[in-house]
Amino acid sequence: MSGDLLVLDSVTVRFGGLTAVSALDLRVGPNELVALIGPNGAGKTTAFNIITGVYAPSAGRVVFAGREIGGERPHRICRLGIARTFQNIRLFAGLSVLDNVQAALCGGQRSGVADVLRGPGWRRRQQEHAARARELLAQLGLERFAEARADSLPYGEQRRLEIARALATGPRLLLLDEPAAGMNPSEKEALRGFIARVRREFGIAIVLIDHDIPFVMNLCDRVAVLDHGEKIAEGAPEKVKRDPRVIEAYLGADGAHA
Amino acid sequence: MRRAAFLAIAAVALLALAELALPQVLNRYYATIGVRILVAVLAATSLQLVNGFTGQFSIGHAGFMAVGAYASAALSVYLGAGWLEALQSVLPQPLARLAYFPLPLLAGGLAASLAGLVVGVPSLRLRGDYLAIATLGFGEIIRIAILNVDAVGGARGFALSAPAGVDLRYEGLGMIGAVVVLSLLVMARLVYAPGGLAFRAVREDEIAAEAMGIPTTRVKVEAFVVASFFAGVAGALFAHAEGYVHTNSFTFVRSFELVAFVVLGGLGSFTGAAIAAAGLTAAPELLRGLGEWRMILYSVLIIATMILRPQGLLGSRELSLARLRRRPGTAAAGAG
Repeated sequence: MSGDLLVLDSVTVRFGGLTAVSALDLRVGPNELVALIGPNGAGKTTAFNIITGVYAPSAGRVVFAGREIGGERPHRICRLGIARTFQNIRLFAGLSVLDNVQAALCGGQRSGVADVLRGPGWRRRQQEHAARARELLAQLGLERFAEARADSLPYGEQRRLEIARALATGPRLLLLDEPAAGMNPSEKEALRGFIARVRREFGIAIVLIDHDIPFVMNLCDRVAVLDHGEKIAEGAPEKVKRDPRVIEAYLGADGAHA
Repeated sequence: MRRAAFLAIAAVALLALAELALPQVLNRYYATIGVRILVAVLAATSLQLVNGFTGQFSIGHAGFMAVGAYASAALSVYLGAGWLEALQSVLPQPLARLAYFPLPLLAGGLAASLAGLVVGVPSLRLRGDYLAIATLGFGEIIRIAILNVDAVGGARGFALSAPAGVDLRYEGLGMIGAVVVLSLLVMARLVYAPGGLAFRAVREDEIAAEAMGIPTTRVKVEAFVVASFFAGVAGALFAHAEGYVHTNSFTFVRSFELVAFVVLGGLGSFTGAAIAAAGLTAAPELLRGLGEWRMILYSVLIIATMILRPQGLLGSRELSLARLRRRPGTAAAGAG
């Protein structure tokens, strides 16, 4: 328990009569890479929304770095060290790539008064911010797009930029919601390498959502499978792949017998 | 931005000179139009902060101008006249007036920003059309409320009358221009800074902004309060230049006019809003020779702009000397 960065303790979310997530337990250690998979509507994104404060859990506890965060506002949770990307890309489309990263870098700790007065040191701080943003872009191979509008980037690069923006908030835990959605096999392969690199170079924990097991196979330490809001399996990818309940969830009961 | 500060200071100095020279050159008619243009520029650019930069569509901005106008006028009539008289007894008259007039402007701005806070906190939870309607409603509520306060003249309007020897009117174009320039500098510095990216991030995607650690509710309220402050200052300038205020100057028609300035100038451009505000305030006067055709031409002007420049005059860019100078270079970089 003590070593875990994120702990979901029997978290339940109900929307009226619908139970989207039911008594979910999940633990993520520091620098661990965990995949959350499951069919459509299994409650994967809802789980992310609870962790990031978009929804408050109806029951159960969410503990991050030893601190209960269930029901906190999203921007507070972000500042505590959890950053995320979105299933359908949500960049600041009209801003430049650099500004996307800079907004995440200093949006949480702004001072309007200092910006208006621009006293001594303001310019230096501003240059430091810009330098850090450029450094981050360079690290993720996006520096050549720095001045371009975010929505002018190719699809794959937009996904990458969304990850860069999330990293700019300085997270200890990164949540990636279907980072591979809409990618062809070669793009997916490149993304796998990218995610592994981010984990290595930034030393952070990552939880990612995906539909299919092959994508997460050699990438993740552990896979948790959700179906109808319940966790039906968890463990090493190899083991989960052979779990009859997982096969049933994906192929239906007949498929499991076949 | 340091250059911008320098330019602003130079502009203020220039305007102070203009203060002395202009009355010799301009007759009253032009001076009055000049003041109206400057008031419109300040009101439009302050609305730009909310509508163009933070992406919250407010259409009740005239209400905050009314608060500023009436609060400053009330301060001047009930307390200020005495203060100004006292100041004039120790200082030469022009200096005494220069020392006094920032007070009602500040008071008007503060009163309006307080109103902005009270209106903004509940309404900014709404989005899109709902927010627009709420702000429209609040704008009218403010106006009607003022209309029923007898201490500020009620339906008769409120004249800035003062004892003999004290003049509560202030119509010096130079200093009014200086106030507008300084206000613009403050707003531009607020937005065009790394911290100011928060406003634009909220405009682009509120959910993503919140997830990136930006306290979106606070950012929206901040934009609203600052915009209300400068709308209040614009109202105070208007009240003191005209020497008489009436709630009829602050109906929703005025609010819509300000929205038109902002949209025509280009959402997300202070200079665009300023140009549109100045142009469209001057247009009815310039077209006066056309008699009854002038309102038609005014409408045609707006329609033509929207067809030819749907993103507004300047889009989301700013007009600046640096940009004009840089233009050839940027084009080359774009081609390479």
